[in-house]
Amino acid sequence: MKNALGREIPERIGKRKLRPFKGAFATTPTAQKAPRPQKTVKPGENKVLSSIEEAIEATGLSDGMTISFHHSFRNGDLLVNQVLDTCARMGLKDLRLFPTALFPVHEPLIEHIKNGVVTRIEGSMNGPVGAFVSQGGKLKAPAVLRSHGGRWRVVEAGDIKIDVAFIAAPQADPYGNANGIKGKTPCGPITFCTVDAMYAEKTVVVTNNLVPYPAYPFEIQQGWTDYIVVVDEIGDPESIASGTLMITRSPTRLKIARLASEAVRASGYLVDGFNFQGGAGGISLAATKFVGEEMAKLGIVGGFAMGGGTRLLVDILHQGLVRVILDGQAFDTAAIESLREDQNHVIMDPGQYANYDSRGCSTYMLDAAFLGATEVDLDFNVNVNTHSDGQLLHGIGGHQDVASGAKMTVITIPTLRGRLPVIVDSVTTVTTPGEVIDVVVTERGIAVNPRRKDLKDRFLAAGLPVRELKEIKQEADRLTRPPRKPIFGDEVIALIEWRDGTVIDSVRKVIGWE
Amino acid sequence: MNVEKTAGSEDKRDCQVTVTSASSLEVQVEAGNKNLVEQGIRQVIEETAATLKVKKAKINAIDKGALDYVIAARVEAALRSVFPSTTSIQSGVSRIASKRGRPRRSRLYAPGNNPRLLVGIELHGADCVLLDLEDSVPPVEKAAARILVKHLLATIDLPEVWVRINPLSSYGRDDLAEVLRSRPHGICLPKAESAEDIDELATEIVRIEKELGIAEGSTLIMPIIETAQGILHAEEICAANERVAIVAFGAEDFTRDLGAKRTQESLLFARSMIVASAKASEVQASDTVYSNVEDEDGLIAETKLARDLGFDGKGAITPRQIAPIHAVFSPSKEAIEEAQKIVAVAKAAEARGIGAIAIGGKMIDRPVLERARRTLKLAQELTGEETR
Repeated sequence: MKNALGREIPERIGKRKLRPFKGAFATTPTAQKAPRPQKTVKPGENKVLSSIEEAIEATGLSDGMTISFHHSFRNGDLLVNQVLDTCARMGLKDLRLFPTALFPVHEPLIEHIKNGVVTRIEGSMNGPVGAFVSQGGKLKAPAVLRSHGGRWRVVEAGDIKIDVAFIAAPQADPYGNANGIKGKTPCGPITFCTVDAMYAEKTVVVTNNLVPYPAYPFEIQQGWTDYIVVVDEIGDPESIASGTLMITRSPTRLKIARLASEAVRASGYLVDGFNFQGGAGGISLAATKFVGEEMAKLGIVGGFAMGGGTRLLVDILHQGLVRVILDGQAFDTAAIESLREDQNHVIMDPGQYANYDSRGCSTYMLDAAFLGATEVDLDFNVNVNTHSDGQLLHGIGGHQDVASGAKMTVITIPTLRGRLPVIVDSVTTVTTPGEVIDVVVTERGIAVNPRRKDLKDRFLAAGLPVRELKEIKQEADRLTRPPRKPIFGDEVIALIEWRDGTVIDSVRKVIGWE
Repeated sequence: MNVEKTAGSEDKRDCQVTVTSASSLEVQVEAGNKNLVEQGIRQVIEETAATLKVKKAKINAIDKGALDYVIAARVEAALRSVFPSTTSIQSGVSRIASKRGRPRRSRLYAPGNNPRLLVGIELHGADCVLLDLEDSVPPVEKAAARILVKHLLATIDLPEVWVRINPLSSYGRDDLAEVLRSRPHGICLPKAESAEDIDELATEIVRIEKELGIAEGSTLIMPIIETAQGILHAEEICAANERVAIVAFGAEDFTRDLGAKRTQESLLFARSMIVASAKASEVQASDTVYSNVEDEDGLIAETKLARDLGFDGKGAITPRQIAPIHAVFSPSKEAIEEAQKIVAVAKAAEARGIGAIAIGGKMIDRPVLERARRTLKLAQELTGEETR
């Protein structure tokens, strides 16, 4: 069947009947939240186990079950591999993996897929696992990609039942309180998986740093935690920044960032109480820096800045340019330190900032946000999930959640990456629909979504280089011959869910080239 | 005999092309994202070989994300070094000749053989872009560089683009013969030391313009004065030929030639000499580059000094320097308003036949009025440039 964007999606996957995407805010939930079995731990009971193996036995994890993880260690995560190796050793099969995201460090997972230990994955796959799964025929069911908020929603709705949640915690106490900002290897908030801890059949906190009761802040609460396991290593904090934090030095990219900040200035939103999402990619980081400088120049005090937390945002907070930072993750040590020490740097979870089926999201309070894209098309649809060759490349992250909420969503992109055009006639995969994208900023000019004539008028009045997206595309296209296009077969490799659980696109196996 | 020649490098945004003789045309492409880009790269290579009428060659390309014009240039360079009798590609580009007095606040240098640094060179609003074949290009790359610059000129639209050739005594004549095919707005001559240097260049340009059927006189000349001899002959250099539209100062070579340390004081004589010589021949003067790219305050201070000495613009070695330079050389809102007032009062006085005029009790004499007119003209031209 075709969804509202004309994207072909399957009617059903196994027993699951798919709902087609209808529009960014077109659906209304009607069900109750999922139940979790009640349980009582009586005074004096011990919850600490001695190994992952023991935890697997104690939780009753068995073939066909679902296990979950968070990705706050990003490419420094050591827990997923440890748990899967242990599962393999114990002869477990047919597991469904439900991580918040996978990274290149999880390449050993490929062996576990080949050996049938893992047969389904619902979560984003950055790197080799994505490339492997994209070959087709690797998993028993298509992968499912969800945004931060979408993943929270699906657990709360009970559409994914987690059997065992394994939660890597840089600090935990013997009763199961845990956090990500303290300990020997802090990784920033671990609140991506708060919902896992609350709704899993069994919740296991795994730490390398057990401290006397109580470990706080209570990102993970004792009342949710069944077991605590102490291991030598859960993550390498050196790798959490994964190279995302350099402000770009490329003149082209700096120009994009400069134009993006000028667009914000001209938008009318840059007044006292201005709330914005700071980016962590090269261009958005620079744009965030320029917006901060602009606020200082104009004497504006913003409301909140939303992370991923970075040193740059912390500086902006310390300069008094915003009142508070709200963070669901931290990208560098400065941000983690600030989360520990500054009560105006606040931890939040995706249920707070991004969940569609909730009574409000922090992203809806944003005035402006800078986001990246792998591809943007002439309808302003954005792809962050697949490469132009159809391979799974990145997760959704908070892209859909932020774009849906911010009054002005700015996509900052170069028109070419190497020889590959970034603006295309139709994106390979839709991650985020054009209806929630307001502005596309490139080094060749600024394109404004026709829905936002108000912004276009303001930009023109400010003398900004406003152009049609098509015109920018044509200018870039003159520089390289068009790339070949993949031909997609019938096999569905992955489903891209919209935040409300409808399917916005499907990723199919590449079977040839036009 | 099996000759093997290579052009280009494996640096980002370049394409390394290696050519050997063969009995037919064989093309091999290595590239990231090969599925996506191989076909396009192959087309560019085959079309370039066909244009050069080469039918027997083995062409290997290692692409690192190069634009089409870079690939074509690398193929042409490698093929011509294996088959020296091959005629150079005509680019067929047409260009409107540039005006002598147009605003030239910034001259952005770009190394002529570095595709990565040439990407997006048109995007930063420089008044003039200078593609360099001289100091930034090592001798072994000179041939490939001038071919790359020729292809860039034919592809990338720039408001005003110059090529800094090598001195005519070294590679300069070959540079000219190649790049004039793509008709840059002007040629920049380094180490200009005498009127004869300019005459020699002008004669060569005339000869090639005729050969290529370019309207005579459409290629401007920018001498760079950067030696003691050059400074002492600045006047005759500026006056040597009507093609000389702008003269630039090169402080690094100059202080080396003098054995001096670069300070504002040690450069003062040279700067003033250049400005006076330029203005005497109605030529623009452009100050030397500021080489510490991290020091924006220093750049602004030096640019203000140059402006106050009478320079019309300044060299830039990175796009980041353009905005500060333009800010210094563009008339402020206040200056424009003041100039408008002066010109209006003068006009009214003239209409009433009054000779002497005053604003707020202050006499407005002829030079003040002239400066006000110049300010308004520059402001008008800049507005015109920006809305082009």
